[in-house]
Amino acid sequence: MTKVEPTIYIVDDDESVRDALRNLLDAVGMRAVLYGSTQEFLDARRPDVPSCLILDVRLPGMNGLELQEELNKTGVPVPIVFITAHGDIPMTSRAIKAGAVEFLTKPFEKKDLLAAVGQALDRDRERRAAQARLSALRGRYKSLTPREREVLWEVVSGKTNKEIANLFGLSEITVKIHRGRAMEKMEADSLADLVRMTEKLQQRFRK
Amino acid sequence: MESLRPATESRVTAGQPGFAVRDTVRRLAMSLILVACALVLTLFLQRFFPYPFLFLFFAAVMASAWLGGTAAGLFAVLFSTIAVDYFFVPPFYSFSISPTAEAYFGGFVVCALAASWVSTAKKKDEEELTEARDHLERRVSERTAALQKSNIELQERERQLRLLTEVIPQQIWCATPVGSIDYCNQQLLDYAGRGLLDMQGERFSETLHPEDREGFHRSWQRALASGEQFEGQWRVRGADGEYQWFFTRGLPLRGADGRILRWYGTNTNIDGLHKAEQSLMKTQSDVAHLSRVLSMGELSTSIAHEISQPLTAVVTHGNACVEWLNASPPNVEKARTTAERIIQDGTRAGAVLSHIRALFKKGTPAKGCVDMNEVIHELTVFLKDEAIGRQVSLRAEVARDLPLVDGDRVQLQQVVLNLAMNGMDAMKDLARGPKELRIAVRREGASQILVSVEDSGIGLSAETAEKIFQPFFTTKPQGIGMGLSISRSIIESHAGRLWASPRPGGGALFQFTLPVRSENADDQS
Repeated sequence: MTKVEPTIYIVDDDESVRDALRNLLDAVGMRAVLYGSTQEFLDARRPDVPSCLILDVRLPGMNGLELQEELNKTGVPVPIVFITAHGDIPMTSRAIKAGAVEFLTKPFEKKDLLAAVGQALDRDRERRAAQARLSALRGRYKSLTPREREVLWEVVSGKTNKEIANLFGLSEITVKIHRGRAMEKMEADSLADLVRMTEKLQQRFRK
Repeated sequence: MESLRPATESRVTAGQPGFAVRDTVRRLAMSLILVACALVLTLFLQRFFPYPFLFLFFAAVMASAWLGGTAAGLFAVLFSTIAVDYFFVPPFYSFSISPTAEAYFGGFVVCALAASWVSTAKKKDEEELTEARDHLERRVSERTAALQKSNIELQERERQLRLLTEVIPQQIWCATPVGSIDYCNQQLLDYAGRGLLDMQGERFSETLHPEDREGFHRSWQRALASGEQFEGQWRVRGADGEYQWFFTRGLPLRGADGRILRWYGTNTNIDGLHKAEQSLMKTQSDVAHLSRVLSMGELSTSIAHEISQPLTAVVTHGNACVEWLNASPPNVEKARTTAERIIQDGTRAGAVLSHIRALFKKGTPAKGCVDMNEVIHELTVFLKDEAIGRQVSLRAEVARDLPLVDGDRVQLQQVVLNLAMNGMDAMKDLARGPKELRIAVRREGASQILVSVEDSGIGLSAETAEKIFQPFFTTKPQGIGMGLSISRSIIESHAGRLWASPRPGGGALFQFTLPVRSENADDQS
């Protein structure tokens, strides 16, 4: 995995606010992409890099909170930092409950904004790493033969080699070989490790 | 039959002695004549018969008894006996009686007495019968007359009632116990422009506004089921096709056994009332709207949004500028363009501010003719409920011939409302003493009117009397301290003056003046 530059999306209908945010992020060495409305943001092609979204609440058309709902529904979990001129408590709690990183009132302080953006990017990086680990795991699982997969599921369900051998009509030796191969291909150090991996795979499948 | 009448009458008038004597004499005379006739005839008939023809005397006795009663009968018997004794019993033409004729004569007397008695008894029976029949007949005719009289009275009463239902300016209807309309008075028919046939039964509901029909049916059916008073308001279509609001009330008429016999109802036109209510509601909502607009919260939200955008840009650019200068080496070019942006956005914030200021200036006041009497009257209607709820006695005094003022009606109303609500708030915690709120308006000199609002609340000192007009000064836990400040600026923008003073006897007195509308002032001078 190569080190990629994160992107910060900014959605605000006020051009001067957008520009100022880009200027500040630019000054601290971050790349920002600007959108004037939620629709522009939804229509844009976004690169597959760690990212976060600085989002105004009061926007023409679909507002910030609605965009947050929409993104959650479509499974695009971009961490969001809300900025608003007049946030009240119900609005804030709604946004935070729906997964927003921070809710800042304009005009906000630099450190608050940068801290929120940093936190949001960390969260996204973490999510991306977890995503990458999961897809690697799935890749490894896919490399197993059908028999190895069958044996693997029986092993993690707690059966002994003998029981598995009886179940599939194989010799205990053959089961041992399949089991060893599966552990090796899955890059599992121990049975416990293997159990954790299968749990993750199952979670993914359930989704 | 008619000939019998005198006998009856004689009994009725027997109390008069003169008449009784004359009557007796008359009967006596009658029996004498009858016997005389019998005598003459018998004497005449003696020529043709070998023996005296005495039967005619019996006839005379019977006739006398029949016509003249017992006494006349007995007289006739007496006269006949004398006549027979003298003329027909040997020795003839003498009152003495030969022994041989004694039995014959005796037989005659007995027969005569018997004839008299029979005739009298028969007569008596007949008379009693006649009397009973007469009595009955009289009773019948009396009763018939009484019945006829009450019948006529009843018809007259009904006619009067009917007339009454037609002349009173109210729509009246009747319905059967199952709720079918069967009578509408002329007023109702005239209003609906329909004949009675077109209103009967269920057709009445055709005149109701489609939106009101369901409500009407529901409450009508409920009343019919429960037998309780029926009431409601709905729009009824008139002959002109226009709907007007009516208040309907119906009451059941119950029989002695409690069963409902009929429903009687009236429709009262409340259209004017309804319209007034609606215009009042509109005024209320206008006032409410204004008070909302005037509330600082709403205003600050919109100002905050307008100002915070450029301000955010300024602060963010400022931060960026510092970052550019802190870099090593400092990026002076970026810092300069950033500073230029700061100037731009700062200027923009200033423009927003002056725009808001202009908005305020432009917004006050929307000039027009205002009648403060009307303003106060409308407010008291609006405040009445509030005052009742707070147990405050509200008094409004308007002035006759009050000149009009120039100004924004809604704003002026808001000022009076604000002062009145303040007054009520000041009396909220009053444990004892009367809670009185008085709103008055009067002419003050030639060119001004004076509106005063006084309360019997906690009052104020001479020092606080001026302080309370400063922005954000408040004595109320929930207050923001803008009401009086805004009120004063409204009055001042109308070229008037608003001030407060302690009220003699406790409480506070708020007064403001407004200049009289210029044409009016000219008229006066």
